[in-house]
Amino acid sequence: MRQHDEFAGKEPDDDILERAVNELRRPLRVNAALFDARVMDELLRTPTGLRERFESLVRPRTFRISPLVAFAAGLLFTVSIAGSVLYVLSSTPPARERTVARTVPGAPMVEFGFAAPHASSVALVGDFNNWDPKATPLRAASTGGVWSVEVPVPPGRHLYAFVVDGKVWRPDPAAPKATGEDFGEPNSALTVADPRGGR
Amino acid sequence: MLDGRVSPAVELSDAALVDIVLRGESEAYARLVARYRDRYARFALHMLGNREDAEEALQDAFVRAYRSLHRCGDPARFGSWLLAILANRCRTSGGRRARHERRFVSAEDRHYAIALDHPADASAWREEIGRALARLDPDQREAFLLKHVEELEYEQMSAITGAGVSALKMRVKRACERMRRSLTEGEDAPAR
Repeated sequence: MRQHDEFAGKEPDDDILERAVNELRRPLRVNAALFDARVMDELLRTPTGLRERFESLVRPRTFRISPLVAFAAGLLFTVSIAGSVLYVLSSTPPARERTVARTVPGAPMVEFGFAAPHASSVALVGDFNNWDPKATPLRAASTGGVWSVEVPVPPGRHLYAFVVDGKVWRPDPAAPKATGEDFGEPNSALTVADPRGGR
Repeated sequence: MLDGRVSPAVELSDAALVDIVLRGESEAYARLVARYRDRYARFALHMLGNREDAEEALQDAFVRAYRSLHRCGDPARFGSWLLAILANRCRTSGGRRARHERRFVSAEDRHYAIALDHPADASAWREEIGRALARLDPDQREAFLLKHVEELEYEQMSAITGAGVSALKMRVKRACERMRRSLTEGEDAPAR
């Protein structure tokens, strides 16, 4: 052990503090598979980027504007509302089609993770892939027993689950359970936010 | 995903791994977890005195670091940055723990990821060390562990804790004095 200033003047063999430090330096035995799976499971609990986007949207902000700017903004807002009402009343396409047209091309990517150190396969099933166990297999990380896959999921509320080893149906332990059950098995619920701020 | 695009046999630097994670390969973070898991588990255990809090703090530190990885100013020093997050997390947890009696668990429990692996005859000695650490002020315990167990330089400790070098030297000095006094009074040290 390196001789430190604090140990100076002591015979190393007799220094109880040095023996304590040596004991404290002993490596710990950590169950790597268990710990890594817990960490990676926690990390993958949050869909990629969505949390940050959501938090940035709902985070309170303080704006300082002059009275003139406030008046101009209010006028612009009033004109916009009036224009929107006139557009809705006069337009011929149904509202549903307009909503679809506003949707951003390409669904948001969502990362799903599931810790199963002893599984030989894990698949994602949900209403976005017709509950097909062959459609979306998860890939195993090189360590930790964590399986994951990133897939596009349209904005909205979805039900999903994992199929382990092709036969065992498991809900996502990191997500809220859905109130209803499909196929007699418990599912998890996921709400994907519209990247443009819609629901 | 690591397997396929990045060979597990390749020893990548912290900076390279951080860059890979930031480009969307979140599984690469598992390598950073593996790299710092054991060493920092030891620090958290010594800081907090029990496996339950240590595991929680360490897991939380890894998760916090992941979620704010884009704010890691110097990816080459990811380890120090992570240790700063962990130390801060231990201070928070230590504050909560201070309301309760600190525990030094020596029994095996399969549900814990952190195992205490030592011969039974050293158990009393380890518990005595644990009690001596618990008697230190949290700032002193942190400085003592960073200096003598993690073997950091004072400049590194200053960057991690935010305290000045002089203050850290004083904390280490006082910690050593109190530790030596506590351990001498305990007299549980095994003969060498």
